Amino acid sequence: MTGITRRRFVQGIGAGAAVAGLSPAGSLIGAARAAGGPVVVGTWGGDYQALMDQYIAQPIIKPTGYEIVFDSGMDTARKTKLLAEHPLPRGSMDVVALTRSGGYEMWKNDTLLELDPKKMPNYSHVLDKLRTPYSIPHIYTGRVILYNPKFVKDKPTSYNDLWNPAYAGKVGVIDIQYQTTIESAAMVAGGTMSDYEPGKAKLLELKKAGVKIYPTNEAMASALKTEEVWMCIMWKARGVMWQNAGIPIEMANPKEGIVLYISDQVMPKNAKNKDGAYVWLNGLLDPTAQVQFAKNMGYNPTVDNAPIPADLKARIEFPPDVTYINQDQDYLAKNDGALKDWWDKEFKA
Amino acid sequence: MTSARAAAWRRTGALAPASLLVFAFLALPMLLMLRFSFNSFVPGKFMVEAVTVENYVKLATDPYYRHVLGLTLGVSASVTILTLIAGWPIAQFLARTQSRHKGLLLLAVVLPLFVGNAVRAAGWMVAFGREGLINRLLHMIGLIDAPLQIMFTPTAVIVGIVSVNLPYVVLTLSSVIEGIDRRAEEAALSLGATPFETWRLVTLPLALPGLLAAGVLCFILSMNAYATPVLLGGPSFQMMAPVVADQVLQRANWPFGASLGFVLMLVTLGLTAGANWLVGRRYGR
Repeated sequence: MTGITRRRFVQGIGAGAAVAGLSPAGSLIGAARAAGGPVVVGTWGGDYQALMDQYIAQPIIKPTGYEIVFDSGMDTARKTKLLAEHPLPRGSMDVVALTRSGGYEMWKNDTLLELDPKKMPNYSHVLDKLRTPYSIPHIYTGRVILYNPKFVKDKPTSYNDLWNPAYAGKVGVIDIQYQTTIESAAMVAGGTMSDYEPGKAKLLELKKAGVKIYPTNEAMASALKTEEVWMCIMWKARGVMWQNAGIPIEMANPKEGIVLYISDQVMPKNAKNKDGAYVWLNGLLDPTAQVQFAKNMGYNPTVDNAPIPADLKARIEFPPDVTYINQDQDYLAKNDGALKDWWDKEFKA
Repeated sequence: MTSARAAAWRRTGALAPASLLVFAFLALPMLLMLRFSFNSFVPGKFMVEAVTVENYVKLATDPYYRHVLGLTLGVSASVTILTLIAGWPIAQFLARTQSRHKGLLLLAVVLPLFVGNAVRAAGWMVAFGREGLINRLLHMIGLIDAPLQIMFTPTAVIVGIVSVNLPYVVLTLSSVIEGIDRRAEEAALSLGATPFETWRLVTLPLALPGLLAAGVLCFILSMNAYATPVLLGGPSFQMMAPVVADQVLQRANWPFGASLGFVLMLVTLGLTAGANWLVGRRYGR
């Protein structure tokens, strides 16, 4: 009766391990694990997520003991989740990627934590024009005019050039960019960042002139490539990527000013792993990672210490004399739905 | 009596797992959605608990949404008629063929179902584009000088949905035609009916239940089409399913999205039931 079977032996080891788990040594191991653990980052998928994984999660975060778990999807779903989980003690995401407008909306709804810059050593390098109390600006770019120099001989200087009768029928706009399109029209029709109304009549003129409407950025890229469209408004980063893809376009800065597009990452008040979230947010600002987003996606770094090669810098940066414009997030939060309604019912109809 | 009751219980018991699944994963979520449709939406605040009919009033009074519903109905009716016309000859051929390759032919009909709707729509995009297959062919044979605008037109959407629905209709119709006794057709022919008269007076009435089933299936699929109208119809072509998705996914307006979804479902159900009743009355089924 002394024979020990293999199964019994394994069971014995299991019981021993369970007892060890209750010992002080075991709880020490537990504490060490709690310092790391998973950090859930809600984000857009695709290239953006792949680059974050390749240049931030793997090389910068993994050695610290934290494991980054991406929860990818659309930003509207993330906003809905933040609002729905707001009353709960623990949310499902530790960090959430949102546009600047989306982040503002969530901050106003009291779902976001005010960040402590002291917990992110890289924060001191963040550009002043991009700072908010509740978000880490990860990448940014500005809105410009894209044009095909083969047909548009005079380099555009203003959004008004899209209304030039010489280019009637050869100007395109993008369905999902309704907000910025109405905004650009407002900027040359007497509107302000807090009043897009004058842009509506101006856009209806463009519609009368035969503007082409494309569903997505990609559809616009293909229209520019086939020369179906000669001019459009677009984020400069996209323009750089499209140039890389061989689309025959140049970029012009509108004299009305450069409206900024900022991609933020924020921390919910009920994030489970706040320490891990701070490590991640700090990683986003790491100069080596910032360079990769400039190289691969054409975005400008949000920090002042990213070593961008001179040739790339010349392509993505704006000249020092341009005026940067921030959107009025309060106005957009209240009026975006109505702007989209107008776009769907009047402009596209 | 007792054994009959026991048999009835056994039948019910056998249905229970499926019924429970449907109840838990279809009926309950639908009830929840119905409740959501009476909530109100405050921009930036998501869904606010309420009991209001404002979403349904907006839907009924706003000409835009009436237009979207009308367009969806129009496209679905056209698609259904076209698919039935295009599907019948294929179905009849498949049902009546003596070819030893019948299995392969059936496979050819089913094969498109192996490819997702979005992928098929992408294929049509390649064909319909300004530099696409059709424009190039027409240009090569000298029929056109400038490329035709095919993408982002109702024609593109209708062709796209017909191609998606055709296999369902062909399979439904061919199984019904196969079930029709050939001797009935042969009798009509031997009594002097022309082939068309035989088809009109014998085959068609006998196949009517199958035609109705195929038509209903096709209509429901078109009413709820999402990928095809989005990809081939372009930004200005608005059908119901993409509008529902826009409200829920882009604007986070669940209450209005839910009410749109409910109206879409009720209209589809109502029309389907109506068609069933009409055909039943006309042909005494």
